[in-house]
Amino acid sequence: MSTPAAPSLRTYIPNYDLMNYGGIPTVYHCHHFNLFLDQTIDDALGPDEGTKLRFIAAREASHHFIRALVTRAGALTPAERLEVAQRTFAGMGHGRLQVSGDRAGGTATGEFLHYGFSWAEKYGQKVRRRKPADAFAAGYAAAALEVAQSLERETMSAEETTCIATRAPQCTFTLKPGPQAKAVVPVREPDVRARVKPTFASATGEDTISAIAKGLRDFTAPVAGDERGLVQAFGVYVTLHLAGYYNRISYDALAHVVANKPALVPMLEDLLRESGHVCVFNTFGGILASPEWEAMVGKHSGDPQAIILGNLAIARALGFGHWTLAEYQPNERVVLRAPATYESVYYLTRHGASDRPSEYFFQGAALAIAQLAHRIDWRQKPSLTQDFYNSLFKGGTLPWKVEQTSCTACGHEYSEVVATRVG
Amino acid sequence: MSKTAVQESVADVPSLRGVFITAMPDCLLFDSWTHPDETWVPEDAASYFGDVIRANREGLKSLKAWSSEMQVTIESAQVLLVLKELRDFVVTLAFERDVPLGMVRLHTKRVLERLNNVLPKLEATERPRGVRITEFLERYAPDAHAVLQRVSLRTGIPIALLRSPDRLDANQTNLLEESVKDILGLDTLSL
Repeated sequence: MSTPAAPSLRTYIPNYDLMNYGGIPTVYHCHHFNLFLDQTIDDALGPDEGTKLRFIAAREASHHFIRALVTRAGALTPAERLEVAQRTFAGMGHGRLQVSGDRAGGTATGEFLHYGFSWAEKYGQKVRRRKPADAFAAGYAAAALEVAQSLERETMSAEETTCIATRAPQCTFTLKPGPQAKAVVPVREPDVRARVKPTFASATGEDTISAIAKGLRDFTAPVAGDERGLVQAFGVYVTLHLAGYYNRISYDALAHVVANKPALVPMLEDLLRESGHVCVFNTFGGILASPEWEAMVGKHSGDPQAIILGNLAIARALGFGHWTLAEYQPNERVVLRAPATYESVYYLTRHGASDRPSEYFFQGAALAIAQLAHRIDWRQKPSLTQDFYNSLFKGGTLPWKVEQTSCTACGHEYSEVVATRVG
Repeated sequence: MSKTAVQESVADVPSLRGVFITAMPDCLLFDSWTHPDETWVPEDAASYFGDVIRANREGLKSLKAWSSEMQVTIESAQVLLVLKELRDFVVTLAFERDVPLGMVRLHTKRVLERLNNVLPKLEATERPRGVRITEFLERYAPDAHAVLQRVSLRTGIPIALLRSPDRLDANQTNLLEESVKDILGLDTLSL
């Protein structure tokens, strides 16, 4: 965390806790979430179509983002613009990316790219990967060259030709002009502001949540990539990431499965929820178990409600939305509500009203929060390893289930997820 | 074979920390004994030992160096393992790390002779391929808790059916196998 970011670019919509960076919706997410979500997209679409969607989504979201950044920075020449794009990429924890080229195309090289590097670290000793992992970096590189060369958006293609996740020594990309992608409705901060419902306070513990969230925001404000361009904290690799990327790959994959393989929709929904579940367990859990948490909040009391409130504060600090505790029955029922989430505002802007509750991250997160609160004794300082995760969640029926009962993307006044004890 | 038979076979072997007997070809735990001070879970380990022997056998065959007398010795920082095929079984002996190799070989020979007398002859029953593929997947997949959902999404095979893999038809079994190879990054499954 040696390279300071530009914290003034990071803003939150007041009372909604939706984060923007340079006016573009962003959130913090860990490598567990990033890898699992990308994997789910490939499982749903196949590796070729999955990679293609992930590239297109990355390029689209990155173009808006980089253009906003270079405009703010007053970067005029292609070299200046590429420098802004590359420095920001590393500052966000995505690794070191070097892009070069002109309007006819170019090349890019990556070191410590978040996806490929963390995949190799998490899975590389266990399975062999056949396809490159860095579709996000490919899309970002293409967008960087588009903006640097003042090209129309989504006109540059990029392919990752070697990747450390496939045991190559380096990640490399080839960029060349391609057909312009179909225009889609942009999702920027003003669009988000136009879509949110009236906000509200937590029924329980609002002061506690707000105070911890503020402390966490102050703590994370100066955090940026280290000399590798990675942010390694709380036992995970963290990225400041483009919400549009997550949302587009999730909802476009869902639309594809709804249209072509409707019987598999519940399976995709399960896995989208699981990406949120694994994220909250590892990242939120890592924060709860950290000495920084103890210094800021104090020792854990053993009270599950305190863990729930802490998790809601973390969610707000990471830009997921103004998550509140609407109802709590110890060891029985946890009800979370939000006036908007980074998922619902995207869905409404891009697709209009949804015919189904579709905030899968919010759902998976609620399930994880209920279990973090009730199945782990934080006073024992647990080690959040993969083995521990498997011991809690592998095999049999989970002792908690989750249901989304209300969704602002469906036109409801708030989004609500209910985690309930089973049996 | 009763637990007592295994215990009797190893009762007077110093420095021994555990014995794992894996039934082949399914790599299932058949029997075990562990020192009371150890916290090992035999069910978690036994199948991997079967896979080690199988992989070792294939590797040696590719070098034209395989013989039925092969024995695998693994010297880790904490423990010294000896793995040996014994008829339908793989026997794995775990010794304290600082025992001289010569003593380990001597003890191993003695224990194997005893086990040879007490281990039964297994009836060779071929279990459905779908069952063996699924077990293999769950043994080696990352994110094993969600891997059947992944296979279902990839193949279109209902999750309920994947949880009863003995009911898979030939086409579904082929789909399953291709999916498992993709997930694990393998060209073939060594079943």
